[in-house]
Amino acid sequence: MSEIVIASKNVSKHFGEGEAQVHALREVDLDINIGDFAAIVGPSGSGKTTLLNILCGLDKVSSGDIQVSGRSLQDMSGSELAKFRREHIGLVFQAYNLIPVLTVMENIEYVMLLQNVPVAERKERVEKFLTEVGLEGKGNRFPVELSGGQQQRVAIARAMVSHPDIILADEPTANLDSETGVLLLDMMRKFNEEFQMTFVFSTHDPQIMERAKRMVTLTDGHIVSDEIK
Amino acid sequence: MLWKLAWRNLWRNRTRTWLSATVIAIGLMALIFVDTMVEGMSVNMVKNATDTIMGHAQIHAQGFRDEYDVKLTINNLDVMLTHLRDHPDLKDMSMRVVTYSMLSSAEGVEPILTLGIDPEEEKKLSKFDEAIIAGDYISSVSGGDLILGWKLAEKMELRLGERLVLTAVDAESGEMVQELFRLSGIYKTGDNEMDASMALAPRETLQHMLKLEGKIHEIAMRYAHMNEKGTPAIPVTKPDKESGNDLSLWTELMPAMQAALQLTDQSMAIMGLILFFIVALGITNTLLMGLYERMFEFGIIKSIGTTPWQTARLMVYEAFCLGVFGSIVGLMLAVIVTILFAKYGIDYTGIEYSGITFQEKIYPSIRLERLVVYPFWSLGFTLVASLYPAFKLWRILPVEALRKRKF
Repeated sequence: MSEIVIASKNVSKHFGEGEAQVHALREVDLDINIGDFAAIVGPSGSGKTTLLNILCGLDKVSSGDIQVSGRSLQDMSGSELAKFRREHIGLVFQAYNLIPVLTVMENIEYVMLLQNVPVAERKERVEKFLTEVGLEGKGNRFPVELSGGQQQRVAIARAMVSHPDIILADEPTANLDSETGVLLLDMMRKFNEEFQMTFVFSTHDPQIMERAKRMVTLTDGHIVSDEIK
Repeated sequence: MLWKLAWRNLWRNRTRTWLSATVIAIGLMALIFVDTMVEGMSVNMVKNATDTIMGHAQIHAQGFRDEYDVKLTINNLDVMLTHLRDHPDLKDMSMRVVTYSMLSSAEGVEPILTLGIDPEEEKKLSKFDEAIIAGDYISSVSGGDLILGWKLAEKMELRLGERLVLTAVDAESGEMVQELFRLSGIYKTGDNEMDASMALAPRETLQHMLKLEGKIHEIAMRYAHMNEKGTPAIPVTKPDKESGNDLSLWTELMPAMQAALQLTDQSMAIMGLILFFIVALGITNTLLMGLYERMFEFGIIKSIGTTPWQTARLMVYEAFCLGVFGSIVGLMLAVIVTILFAKYGIDYTGIEYSGITFQEKIYPSIRLERLVVYPFWSLGFTLVASLYPAFKLWRILPVEALRKRKF
């Protein structure tokens, strides 16, 4: 039996109060195992981003419980959650992922600096992941000097470089053309297979969904299917 | 990394950063410049007060200054002179006879204060010889010369060479005594009181008239070096109470001016507070604008593991960089402006403040410690200004910040 990285039990999330209340998630039970390459799919407004935000502790549940790497996120303070994410979770967003005033190398190095990784090891890991994402020689460039696809590859390198337990990506290909999106997904899949890195990403692009090993479908905040290919 | 991030963030919007730094710089420059001018004015006022007549300190018999009683002469003069001359920093002194008297001319009578002086001694201590605008300074320690202020001369319609009769009370019997003088010179010190109601006569003539042979009422002293407070650099030992004499520094002789000078220090502090408060509001506004513009980015920074405290520090570091930059620019501007004004000065001659009329241009005077203190104030206020934006940044949840997407 695979080891569980994320266990969500009966998770609900609503916004607003009274008649204006909106239910974004309804009693979601979802376990993510080590080595998963899972896509969370569904139409706009189905709760994909809310679920990812909750899984990484960016947002709080209204009810239910989330455990990541064996620790419940519900009772952690903002500071504890930040430190927890730093050590255990890599995040990739749709776009504007990078800190514009830092170079590619500094962006990738940033989380390791927060982790107090020694300088020599930082440099070594940065070089390694720059090569892995095919951006060797571009370390001293600023994000604005890179294409959208290259920026997302830097974001993935940043998410992976700190050796997290899981990488969560919220529609990482949404702002890319389909060819670049597919190449990015292929690269993520390669890392999943080579490094046994666990990936959970949301998408509504059928081409991207095809590349997932597992597909969790959300509709109106409910998980309507959880299919392993 | 946070420092690097803060410094680079600062230069993302160069125009805004320059504008904010300029606000800090101008605030700091204005404060330092005004401070140097006030300091220059204070130095000028003290110089005016002490150089014209008073000296840095005076000695009298106890009680003399209450009513200027002609009988109250300095006790044990020789002992006192030895005591005063023992001071290693004593530069000059002038022994005076001082009396209230009536000055009569063919045109009228005026009550005046008359000083009996040794012209050579007095030249070194006061500026009456330089203030002569008509006629001559007193030529000898004895004789019938008398000089007086231009306002008094004008009021009594006096002309040079005119005969004048001085009436006073002698020290022995308290009887009225009179002496004939000739108006030898008219002075203009710029001090209304001295120009309108004072006269100087040869000391020995006055001593003879008042039956005060060998006795004097006042010794005015000047010391070579003064400290920042305007008092002698080497402290002056006051005579014992038993001596029957009192020694007063100029700060005690002119308490109103001393209070005015202290008030200027307080005024500068209040002005600095107001000025930096306004600057701080501008900085808070700038930082808040930067915060709202980069909200999504702060969301990313928080999401990937930067703690709220580290994020808040980032804002304070940005303010610190801005404060240091603005203060350096301000300091340079202040030094340049001060050097320029130190060359040309500001002409306040003839303007009276706190009983003192400025005789010379005012030149800024830099107190070096202020070049350190004020930039620290400026930096401190900039840091205080960053606390509210930093607190906002500390509080905001990453998920809320991430909703402020630019796309």
